[in-house]
Amino acid sequence: MKTRARFGVTFRVIAVLILLGIVVFPLYWMFVTALTSDEQLFSGTTQFLPDFSQIGIFAEALAQGDVLRWLLNSFIIATGTMAVTLALGIPLAYALSRFSFGGKVVVGIALLFTQMLPEALLVVPLFAIFRETGLLNSIPGLILADSAFVLPVVALILKGAFDGVPREVDEAARMDGARPGSVLLRILVPLITPSIAAAAVIAFFTAWNEYVFAVTFIYDKSLQPASVGVAGYIGEQDTSIQTIMAVALIFTLPAVAFYLFAQKYVIGGMTAGAVKG
Amino acid sequence: MSQTGIRRGRFRRSPLGSKWTPYIFLVPAMAYITIFQLVPLLQEIYLSFTKTSLLNPGRNVWVGFENYIATFQSESFQQTMLVTLVYVVVCVAGSVGIGLLVALLLNSRFPGRGIARALVTIPWAAPGIAVAVIAVWMLNAQYGVLSRFLSGLGVAVGEGGVLDDPNLALPAILITTVWQLFPFTAVVLLSALQSVPDELVEAAHVDGAGRWWTFRVVTWPVIRPTIGLIAVLMAIWSIRRFELIWLMTRGGPLGTTKTLVIDLYSQAFDSKQLGTAAAIGMVGIVISLIIVVGGRLVANAAERNS
Repeated sequence: MKTRARFGVTFRVIAVLILLGIVVFPLYWMFVTALTSDEQLFSGTTQFLPDFSQIGIFAEALAQGDVLRWLLNSFIIATGTMAVTLALGIPLAYALSRFSFGGKVVVGIALLFTQMLPEALLVVPLFAIFRETGLLNSIPGLILADSAFVLPVVALILKGAFDGVPREVDEAARMDGARPGSVLLRILVPLITPSIAAAAVIAFFTAWNEYVFAVTFIYDKSLQPASVGVAGYIGEQDTSIQTIMAVALIFTLPAVAFYLFAQKYVIGGMTAGAVKG
Repeated sequence: MSQTGIRRGRFRRSPLGSKWTPYIFLVPAMAYITIFQLVPLLQEIYLSFTKTSLLNPGRNVWVGFENYIATFQSESFQQTMLVTLVYVVVCVAGSVGIGLLVALLLNSRFPGRGIARALVTIPWAAPGIAVAVIAVWMLNAQYGVLSRFLSGLGVAVGEGGVLDDPNLALPAILITTVWQLFPFTAVVLLSALQSVPDELVEAAHVDGAGRWWTFRVVTWPVIRPTIGLIAVLMAIWSIRRFELIWLMTRGGPLGTTKTLVIDLYSQAFDSKQLGTAAAIGMVGIVISLIIVVGGRLVANAAERNS
């Protein structure tokens, strides 16, 4: 019995290592490629270990052309999207969680339905609307478009979080005469801070990663976010593959780091959103 | 309870405590969603019944169902539907199947479990753009590590590499997508598995049930609703999925990776045919609706039966 159990653990550890290899390898390969010298790269043999003497490539990559500009644009777009979705999503989730009102079912169906809309479909009419209102080729316009797509997810996650707080907690305050707005801000929001943080991370990185709207709405190079910049490297011959990998890695790592850091809440939130959505 | 009644009375006098209160919180968000999603959707529905060029969007000629009829009759669209079907089915089956196995593995006991559970989410956290960039590089015909690996295995890859090969491009995209999706299903299923009561599993073992039997009788009933939901979610995500396919192949070679959404985007922005693009988009939305409603009905039926 005992040897069988030990064999089981060994087997599991091997399976987990294979799994992690498959999961981590592409990111590792970005890193190795960035840190490979030209001679090595085109020598015909595959080099599986990074060459740390090439570490300067990361600084060089950042100094290249528009890379810092892209990252800054992405940061502004992502922060703006996060702010807009939280400002609209928190009140919406509160209303859905704590009140019964006419049209509640319609709101629920609308939120569910918007999750089915492909970005590629709405890009055309939004393009027309933005052209008429002067939002085309502007960062605020992109923030508004991105926010509309994250808002339903954020609202569903936050509704799930509000639902998890017993009603007695805020009802007591309301019965004492506190207005709904201050109940929300003073009592409920502090109680669900982790879920709000998770929703904020999701909103931030959805906008950070967004591509379809960005590539269609923004045509000024100086306003492009990093997603468009990095995607532009595909099929392009002028930039060295090491630089491409270094920039792609710099673009990827914040997202991965944040998800790892906040994953407990993000996954809890996404699951709640998924289950309700 | 009687006390609550008295207090409710006082609450009603508060100026914001009327039946209009929820709308104060609700209206900004719903107005926003209406402006940025529902109004464009309505415009798109209208466009699908017109002949409209991207270069001349003001001039719409009403053509009724012409776009739909022409779309359904074209051979390339039949291929698009087939590719979409394969893409959705493989993405759902692959991500749920592998996700379940990985969830079971990560739910068992082994050293370093916490780190493994954290690391497994990496593909899902990585931006689709970065995934496309690294996939294209790894599949590069001359220098790609996967191309070398494949030729080492004896797979014949043409001059242009895997993504230029009509037989290999779709499998490559499917593997990449499943790689990115299965961690999400794994983590969601893992949290479902954690609500399986240990006592029940032990009781089954004591009764002499084998692993497979324990899974069927104890674990499966608990995770089945989650599997249904995640499958529907994965299906909708795969239908919507754009940037990975677009950046890896743009729907090529020979349309072998052209899904509905890729077709829609290239109709709009390459061929400038907004009406046709809109009609294709509507087909996608109807399919998503059928999946969601169908999923609900199946789930309800299953609930009634059990």
